[in-house]
Amino acid sequence: MTAIIEARNLSRWYGNVLGISEINLEINPGITALLGPNGAGKSTFMKILTGQLKANIGEARIFGEKVWNNRRIFSRLGFCPEDDAFYEELSGLEFLSGLLSLYGFNQAECSRKARQALDLVELADVADRQVRSYSRGMRQRIKLAQAIAHDPEVLILDEPLSGLDPLSKRHIIKLIKEFKNAGKTIVISSHILPEVEALTSEIILIHQGKIIARGDIYFIRDLIDTHPHMIRIKSPQFRQLATTMAGEDYLLKMAFEPEDQAVIFETHDRDRFFNRLNELLLSSPLAIDEITSPDDNLQAVFDYLVGK
Amino acid sequence: MTSIREKGYHHWEGQFLDNPRPFWPISRTGVKLAFGRKHFKLGYTFSFLPAMIYAVIIYISERLEDFKFIAQGGDKLLQVNPNFFKSYLTLDLLYFAILILMSIGGAGLLADDFRHKAVQLYFARPLTKADYLLGKAGVIIFFVGTLTLVPAVLLYILKLLFAGSFAFFLEYPWLILSILAFSLLVILFFTAFILLTSSLSNNRNYVISIIFGVYFFSEILRGISFTIFRSPLSALFSISANLKQVAAGFFQVKPPYNYPWYLSFLLVSLFCFLAYLIVKHKVRGVEVIK
Repeated sequence: MTAIIEARNLSRWYGNVLGISEINLEINPGITALLGPNGAGKSTFMKILTGQLKANIGEARIFGEKVWNNRRIFSRLGFCPEDDAFYEELSGLEFLSGLLSLYGFNQAECSRKARQALDLVELADVADRQVRSYSRGMRQRIKLAQAIAHDPEVLILDEPLSGLDPLSKRHIIKLIKEFKNAGKTIVISSHILPEVEALTSEIILIHQGKIIARGDIYFIRDLIDTHPHMIRIKSPQFRQLATTMAGEDYLLKMAFEPEDQAVIFETHDRDRFFNRLNELLLSSPLAIDEITSPDDNLQAVFDYLVGK
Repeated sequence: MTSIREKGYHHWEGQFLDNPRPFWPISRTGVKLAFGRKHFKLGYTFSFLPAMIYAVIIYISERLEDFKFIAQGGDKLLQVNPNFFKSYLTLDLLYFAILILMSIGGAGLLADDFRHKAVQLYFARPLTKADYLLGKAGVIIFFVGTLTLVPAVLLYILKLLFAGSFAFFLEYPWLILSILAFSLLVILFFTAFILLTSSLSNNRNYVISIIFGVYFFSEILRGISFTIFRSPLSALFSISANLKQVAAGFFQVKPPYNYPWYLSFLLVSLFCFLAYLIVKHKVRGVEVIK
């Protein structure tokens, strides 16, 4: 079986700025996540897949057909851009109906499909309100609605979860999983690992325009767990906490931020660290205001992978 | 060891729809949005005032005996001939009305899409750049067409109806073609002009100032040039003067400026062509970072 999406030696640059370089990959039905920090080349890759950019070198194919200048292919493709892209004066229903009419559906069909999509993203009750009055989360959902309204086979979703509140995020994740179960091919981009983790285990790591790793998310998780990790704890007894933890062999470094009443630990075994912290909290009256991980992000993993 | 990954499979149940006019929904939405803008409907209605006055003139010209008290000494003004149609289609008031309407309903055609980054939504659909531009142009064609071509043709028909004979048609058999051709040129010019200005910025207010700025600056430039050089060719700087000069050629009347009308025609055609090239270049699905 040939892959649904294929990229062969795909390269694109903007003047002197490299967008992507020699991307070779095949994507099959299911959810595939493109992970990378901002500016990694995810959007460039997606824009080539959606026919908005021409690759300088190489080619992208969907269903075995070239993407560039092949408008036929776009009937089977749905794209949710990262940026807001609306006619603010139109209502949600008019916005979707207008876009659906570009596929050649008649008015009645456009209206039916638009309502169906709005219902799916839980915007049916605000269908007749102007888009300009929508909240950030609603805007994100209507962007997704325009991508799915014509029931495409391939969905390209550029950061679809950004700006959503936890409840909407959960709903959209569920919806995307339903598309996957319906056999669709979904390519989703994100720079937030936990978001992707909730969606799929199939990931492609992209950094500085190149694919640096591809495969199972647990492999990436392992990489995160084995490289030194920073944990920042804000507590009124931050010095006492540091003293107690100082003897642990998995701790590599400690730093204080007295003005914030915080201590930063660096460890190479996060699980053991948190187990010990839990024990401490249960056995002593330590008050903790906040726990954050300053480097629990993809950039740290990329830096690790590229050997920085 | 390679991990086992979940894969789905299904048959696509959608269908490829043949859309012979993919640009039409864009034009329709643009027209609808324009009508939804504040004061647009009022401005659009008032823009038909010149056409109505011209219709009255046709009526009076056919009933001169009944309107002698009005027509005293104004017989020349009431003559319906090629110059009458040329004067309607080159009316400064009409052009001003078009500029006003297009600044309300046309300035944002591309500028708003750029601002809202909506172009990418179009280009991720079964639509070519030509379809997109044609859709946007359709909005201007509709409004300029309903203010130039449609009233001019209706005035021509009105003349034939009021005359009750084909004498006028037989006297000027080419006139209807001139009306059609010049109206199309005016439509083409304003479409190119508005789309070009709209593509120059993503701020519609800035586009509006460019539209009026360029139009009136071209007049000022003509005046300055004529004051310095005293040459009729100074009219080549002015948008309305060029259109009037071309109209004289199309309607076979004496040109207002002493140079061949086809020079203005070439200039207008060149402008439209360059505008097309620039707009085509400016419209992209993505913002290009350099």
